[in-house]
Amino acid sequence: MPVYIIRRLGAGLVLALLVTFITFLLLSTSFEDVARTILGPSATPEVTEALIAERGWDRPVFVQYVDWLVNAAQGNFGVSVYTSLPVGPTVLQRLAVTLSVIIPALILTVILSTILGVWSASRGGAVDRLAQGISLVGYIVPGLLLAIGLVVIFAVQLKWLPATGYTPPGEDPAAWARSITIPVIVLVIGGVANMAAQVRGRMIDELRRDYVRTLRTRGTSTTSIVLRHALRNAASPALTVMSLEFIGMFGGALIIENVFALPGYGSFAFNASLQGDIPVIMGITAFGVLLVTGVNLLTDLANGWLNPKARVH
Amino acid sequence: MLKRSRLKRSRDGRGRAVGALAALALILSTAACSPAAESGGEGEAATLTLAIQAAPPSLDPAQLDEGAGTFVWSSLFDTLLKVDNDGTIQPNAAEAWEYSEDLLTLTLTLRDGLSLSTGDTITAEMAAANLERTRVTPGPQQPKLANVESITAPDDKTVALKLTQPDPSLVNYLAQATGVVADAATFDDPAAALRPVGSGPYTLSDTTADGTSYVLERRDDYWNAEEYPFETVTVKVIQDSTAIFNALQTGEVTAAAVQAPQREQAEGAGLTVTEVKSAGTMLLLLADREGTIVPALADERVRKAINLAFDRELYVSSLLGGVAQPTEQSFNINGAAYDAALEGTYDYDPEAARELLAEAGYADGFTLKMPSTVVSTTFEPAVTQSLADIGITVEWDPVPPQNIASSLTSAEYGAVVWFEGTNLAGREMANYFSPSGFLNPFHWQTPEFDQLLSDIANERDLDAQADLYKKATAYTVENALNAPIASIGALWATADGIELATDINVPKTVRMFAPPSD
Repeated sequence: MPVYIIRRLGAGLVLALLVTFITFLLLSTSFEDVARTILGPSATPEVTEALIAERGWDRPVFVQYVDWLVNAAQGNFGVSVYTSLPVGPTVLQRLAVTLSVIIPALILTVILSTILGVWSASRGGAVDRLAQGISLVGYIVPGLLLAIGLVVIFAVQLKWLPATGYTPPGEDPAAWARSITIPVIVLVIGGVANMAAQVRGRMIDELRRDYVRTLRTRGTSTTSIVLRHALRNAASPALTVMSLEFIGMFGGALIIENVFALPGYGSFAFNASLQGDIPVIMGITAFGVLLVTGVNLLTDLANGWLNPKARVH
Repeated sequence: MLKRSRLKRSRDGRGRAVGALAALALILSTAACSPAAESGGEGEAATLTLAIQAAPPSLDPAQLDEGAGTFVWSSLFDTLLKVDNDGTIQPNAAEAWEYSEDLLTLTLTLRDGLSLSTGDTITAEMAAANLERTRVTPGPQQPKLANVESITAPDDKTVALKLTQPDPSLVNYLAQATGVVADAATFDDPAAALRPVGSGPYTLSDTTADGTSYVLERRDDYWNAEEYPFETVTVKVIQDSTAIFNALQTGEVTAAAVQAPQREQAEGAGLTVTEVKSAGTMLLLLADREGTIVPALADERVRKAINLAFDRELYVSSLLGGVAQPTEQSFNINGAAYDAALEGTYDYDPEAARELLAEAGYADGFTLKMPSTVVSTTFEPAVTQSLADIGITVEWDPVPPQNIASSLTSAEYGAVVWFEGTNLAGREMANYFSPSGFLNPFHWQTPEFDQLLSDIANERDLDAQADLYKKATAYTVENALNAPIASIGALWATADGIELATDINVPKTVRMFAPPSD
């Protein structure tokens, strides 16, 4: 097992190197634009060149990348060229905001999807059709529209919840809960729509299997069949869907963060890409790759724990 | 049996759902009182919560940017001079300024009682050190001191700038980001880019979240504290305009710029909407006036034809939501360079435009390649149509957002759809038409216009200078140097207790806002 983990982490590291290098290569064409943006409209070409030289952006791309890598390995991701914010600490801070929305959303998504999926699979009939209808509606209503609609109702009209902004949970837990309520609801609706259908499908497959019939003939209670046996077997693929959902929520969070003005990872990444803020894009890419690798590894390990067939030796 | 177990489970589920609902109710009940508590009652200290769409790039005094982030830095730093709410330049940290007879020395006299937020006194030497640092540090402000040869502090109160040539824009620069005064002792401290030691009416509170929310607290020891009625100013960075609008409606934000289509809804929600006239100019920059890459543009008749092609009234009413007015001049309609008598030179007349093109030898038209950017997208179909009507085919070349400025400066396009913020006449004139101007990428110049610019720079009398500006404007209109379309206004929505203190475009400082005057 430790060998497996080390191998996976090694693969993740190679992937991170590749992705960050390619990103750097793609960004390397815009150093002059970045310099011009920093200097503003009235900069002369001489001043622009002086700044490029001062920042070392005229060196060969590979040298600059290695320089970035050596610094990044020591935890120094540089400073944003547009906002003067230190990249490493800011990415972590922004990531914390996004995670504080995504994790509650994911937990609720898993709970609700499991309930809905298991319920519709084991009960069938009208309940199943209703659950599928709910899924379908959740799936086709765009998150952005839902977010705007909920803000208009709960923040603007009823004034129950704030329309924008974020309070860290450490500062004021109640204010934090209020600030993430609508974003979490939006993410959960999208998430449940997707995941409940997956859980349902897997559960139906499992409940048709021979071992379920065998268990029934042995007089095992339905609750036990559904929850102890079938659900455990269905959980493994559901876990994979969950990890995809988690990563997908980062993408969804970008829209949510914009609508609710949450200072999260998505909006930070979006702004940096729009401006061509090279140190920030590099930092975000590096953290992003490590995050995805980490989540995938944890998913595989949890899968192995749940499902002996998926265990690696 | 199956049914019974299901029933049991659903009861358990209901129990949990009730718990969750109770928690939600708790959250909601605490929420309901918070916005009301923030809005403040009579007699309480006045606060202002502003929303801007982009954070200040840096608070390093040599790296300041004059965008929306100006609200933040102009609160933290005093400028030597200031632009008043009526658009004129007034004394500020410097109580007086004077040019020498040859206009090559500018002498500023600092007022008494200037202090840094640390309590230290500001000397002329410190003010000079700030200017000198800006002059030698690559940054947005550096080019503005290009005509400055040396900066000295002959005594404790006097700063003298020696120029290589007269510069009519210099006092304007010193009234904005170029003229800030910061603690010279923190010049080399990297932390100053986020937490500067300034000289202005406010300091950054510890509750500031960099890049997201800037909380400014008024300094009671500031020399002019009474001119700043808001004890606390919070500047929130909210990128999305819909989110800003929602925040305005809920009272989370008490002042912000809104879009033209939001006007009616904002007024319906009890907000006051004030129009600031001439915040910017929308124009088709006919950059390649010498015909370097688009030979047709070198012909004055072609440029005039392009000017005749636009139904400016229609652009204002249908594309700009009425928050604009048609103009044929590149300059601020509230500024010294604007001449109302010149309007009507190019009334919409596609027939005459086609004739002019035919006369110039382009009876079959020509193709014009222009950059397509996030700012031009909305207007592209209309511009394409207007120009197609007179026989010019537009090819749009997609340009990513971070390359908007370089799409102009690279001199790759003969013409560019552009939006330029308005400024004082000297600055606009230099920006649009001086050979090194940002909006003049092909470095167009003519001896006649050079003479006009030089006359302006060498004129000490402001009235005489205004006449010269108008003469220069007439030259730009008669020669159709650009094809201006509209002077665009900005809409500011303010909540109860906040008023806009100006109706023209002035630098973005908290002085733009005031509590109701009654």
